[in-house]
Amino acid sequence: MKMSKTGLAVIFAAYVLVPLLLGSNSYVMSLIVAAMIIGGIALAWALLGNLGGMVSFGHSAFFGVGAYVSAILTMKAGVPVLAAMLLGGVGAVVASLAMLPVLRLRGPYFALAILAYAHIFKILATEWTSVTGGSAGLASVPRFPTLMGFDLSSKTGSYLIVLSLLLVFIAAYRVIRSSHYGIALRAMHDSEDATRVVGVNSTLLKALMLFVSAFMTGVIGAFNVHYINFLEPDYAFSGLWVTLPIVAAIFGGYRTILGPLVGAVTVYLVDQLIFKNLIPSGHQLILGALLVAMIIFSPGGLMPLLRKGTRRKHAAA
Amino acid sequence: MSELILQALYSGVLQGGSYALIALGLALVFGTMKVINLAHGELVLLAAYMAYTVESRLGLSPMFAIPVALVLVCITAVLVYFLVSLIRKDRELNSLILTYGIGIILTNAVLLIWSADVRSTSSSWMQDALVFGPFYSMRSEVLFFVVSVALMGGLWWWLSKSWYGRAVRAVSSNRDAAKLMGINPRSTEIVSFIVAGILASFAGVAIFSYGVIQPAFGHVLTVKAFIITVLAGIGSIPGVMVGALLLGIAEALTVTLASSALQELVGMSLFLLVLFVMPNGLFGAAGRRG
Amino acid sequence: MLRLEDLSVRFGGLTAVNTVSLSVGTHEVVGLVGPNGAGKTTLFNAVSGLVKPSSGRILFDSTDMLRTPLHRRARMGIGRTFQIPQPMHELTVRENLIVAQRFGTGAVDARKIDEVLEFTGLTDKAERHAATELALTELKALEVAKALATNPKLLMLDEVLAGLETNGKRRFMGMLKELHEKFAVGILIIEHDIETISNLCHRVAVLNFGELIADGTPDKVFRDPEVIKSYTGASDA
Repeated sequence: MKMSKTGLAVIFAAYVLVPLLLGSNSYVMSLIVAAMIIGGIALAWALLGNLGGMVSFGHSAFFGVGAYVSAILTMKAGVPVLAAMLLGGVGAVVASLAMLPVLRLRGPYFALAILAYAHIFKILATEWTSVTGGSAGLASVPRFPTLMGFDLSSKTGSYLIVLSLLLVFIAAYRVIRSSHYGIALRAMHDSEDATRVVGVNSTLLKALMLFVSAFMTGVIGAFNVHYINFLEPDYAFSGLWVTLPIVAAIFGGYRTILGPLVGAVTVYLVDQLIFKNLIPSGHQLILGALLVAMIIFSPGGLMPLLRKGTRRKHAAA
Repeated sequence: MSELILQALYSGVLQGGSYALIALGLALVFGTMKVINLAHGELVLLAAYMAYTVESRLGLSPMFAIPVALVLVCITAVLVYFLVSLIRKDRELNSLILTYGIGIILTNAVLLIWSADVRSTSSSWMQDALVFGPFYSMRSEVLFFVVSVALMGGLWWWLSKSWYGRAVRAVSSNRDAAKLMGINPRSTEIVSFIVAGILASFAGVAIFSYGVIQPAFGHVLTVKAFIITVLAGIGSIPGVMVGALLLGIAEALTVTLASSALQELVGMSLFLLVLFVMPNGLFGAAGRRG
Repeated sequence: MLRLEDLSVRFGGLTAVNTVSLSVGTHEVVGLVGPNGAGKTTLFNAVSGLVKPSSGRILFDSTDMLRTPLHRRARMGIGRTFQIPQPMHELTVRENLIVAQRFGTGAVDARKIDEVLEFTGLTDKAERHAATELALTELKALEVAKALATNPKLLMLDEVLAGLETNGKRRFMGMLKELHEKFAVGILIIEHDIETISNLCHRVAVLNFGELIADGTPDKVFRDPEVIKSYTGASDA
C-alpha cells in the first residue's frame, strides 16, 4: 500500500510528538483517548454506511458486547487483556450473526432492527446477573499490562494502544475499499440490481461489512473497558456510543476514511470544551442540531463542503 | 392466576389505545412520504410535558392541555416536515439520520426545560380506581381508551370519506397515479404530518394521565410505534390497531407473569420474530425486502 | 439451453407474464417482440432472478432455476442488459467490467477485459467515469460489455438499440452480429424494430398482454395476421 509523506509525518507525530508534548498532561491525554474511542466507532459506523449502504442506530450493541466479552474473559477465564480485547471484537461479530436475517430488509428496517438488538443486549446484560454482575456492573476490570517495562495502562500507554488500533482499522478499511469486494460494494450504491445480475451476492458482501464493522466496534468497546476498568449495562450500551459517532461521521464525511476520525476529534472536543460548558445537562441538543444542519446542507460531510467552497473561490478568482 | 391474566389482558388493551394513536401517526407519515419519523415519539413526549405543565403550573386537569398540545405538537410536526422536505438526495436513509437528529434536539430540549426527573399526574380524579367486575384500572386509562377509539373512528371516517383523507390514501398507495389525478403530494404530506401531530397530542396527554414520563421516553415510544407498524405490515390501518393491542397485551402479560424489567424485551422479541417469520407483517402485503 | 415452461408472473391482480413457454437453443438468436407493457422486460427479470415467477418453470441447461439465487445465475451463464443503462455509479468503465468479471466468472483476466473493451469500442473510455462521462451509445455498449465480461452462454439484450441515431444503430447491429460468432453466445433480444429483428434473429417470439401469441421464423411470424393486429391494433381501432 502506498503511503504519502504527509501520512507518514502524521503517524510519526502521533506516535512520538503527541506523547512527548502532551503525555504529562493527563486531562488532555484523556480527552484525546476519548475522542479516539469515538473516532474508532465512527470509522466502523461509516464503513458500514459507506461500503454496506446501511445506517445503524445500534452500534452500541457491538460496543457493549465487546466490552462485556473482554471483561468477562479476563476476569473469569484469566485470558490476557490484549488477547481478550481482540476476542471482544470476535464476540461482537458473533452477536452480529444474529442480525443476518435483517440484512435482507430495506434501509429503515435494518436501522431500526439493529436498534432493537441494542436494547435486547442491554436488557440481557442487566438481567443475566450471574455472568454480567447485573445492573451493579463489574468493578476492577483488569488493566492493560506492563510490556517490557512500559506501563500500557497509563494514559500514554492507552493512547498508543488505541492509536495502533485506529491505524490498523484505517489500513484494513483501505484494503477492503480497493479490493474487488470494495469495488462491488461501491457499485451497489445506486445500482444494486445491475450489480447483482452480474453475479455479486449483495447480501453476503453486506454481511461481511457488518462483521468488519462489528469487530472494530467490539474491539474499541473492549479497549474502553480495560481503559476505565469498570462496566455497567447503562454505560456499555448507552445511546451515546451511537449518537456521537454518527454526528462525527456525518460531520466529517462518512464516505471518506479520515472524515469520521477528523469529525470525531472535532465534534468530541468542541462538545466537551464548549457545548458542555454552555449547557451542562442538554449539550447533546447542539449535536442534534449539528446533525440536522449537516444532513440538510451537506450530507456528504464537511470535507466535500470545504472542497466545494474552495473550488467556488477559485472559479470566482 | 387466571384472574391475573384477565387483568393483564384488560390493562394491555387499554394501553394499546394510546399505542395505536402513536403508531398510526408514524404509519400515516410513512405512507405519504416514505419517511420513518424517528422523532415521532418525541412529539408525543412534548404533548405529555404540556400536560404536566398545565397541571403543575395552572393546577388544571391534564385534559386542558390538549388544545395547547395540539398547537405546539402540530407546529413541531410541520417543522419536521419542512426539514425532511429539504433533503435533496438519498431521502430514505438521510431522513432517518435527520429525524434521529431532531429526536436528539427535542429530547434534550425537554431535558433542559423540565429536567431529567420522572413526572406523573397528581390528579386524584385521573388516578381513581374504576372497577368493572373483575377488571381494575385507573379512571384515566378508560377515559383515554375511549378517546383513542373515538379518534380512530374519526380517522377511519376521514381516510375513507373526506377528500383529503382519500388523497392521503391515494398518495400512499401510488404516488404517480395520485399526481395524475390532480392530487398535490406535498399538501397531503403536510396533512399527514398534522394528523400524526393531532394523534400524538392526545396520546401524549393520555400517557401523562395514567403513567410516568421522562425525557428519554420519546425514543422508547418511537421504537414501540415502529414495532407496531412492523407487526401490522406497513400500510395496513386495521393492522396497526391490532398490532398496538398485541403489543399492549404482550407487555402487560410479561409484567404480570415475569418481571417489569423484561417489558421492553417482549416488544423487541415480538418485532424480530415477526420480521423473521412473516417479513410482510401480520396484515401487510407490501414488500419490504430490498 | 434456456427453456421456459408455462411461466407466469403476477403482481397483485395484474398478470404481467401469462403461462409463456419459450426456448432459446445454444447459439440461437431469438427476438422477443410485442407492444409496450406486453411483459417482455418482466420475462427478462424473471429469468435473471429480479422477480419471482408465480408459477411455471425456468430451466437453464436443464437446471431448474426456481431455487437458484440471483447472483448465482451470472455464474451459470446468464447475462443481461437493462433497457435504461445502469452503469455502476462511482466506478470507471474498466472497474465496471472488473466487477462483472470477478463476480460473474470468479476470476479476473485483464486480457479478456481488454478484448471486451476493444470489441465494444470502449477502449478509449476505459478509465472514464461510467455514470457521468459517457454518451448514450457508449452507455449501451457498456451494458453489453458488462454482460460479456461475465462470460455468458445466454445474453439477454433489452432494447439495446432504442434511442440510438441511425449511424450508432448500424454500428451496434454490426457488433451484435459479430458478437454472436465471436463469443459463441445464444441471444434473446427485445426489440421493436421489425427490420432489425428480421436481420438478426433465427426465430421470433411475440408477446401480447403477457401471452405468447406467436413463435417461429421472422418471415412466418411477421406475416401472421394476429401478430400484425397486435402490432397495428391501435391504428386499426
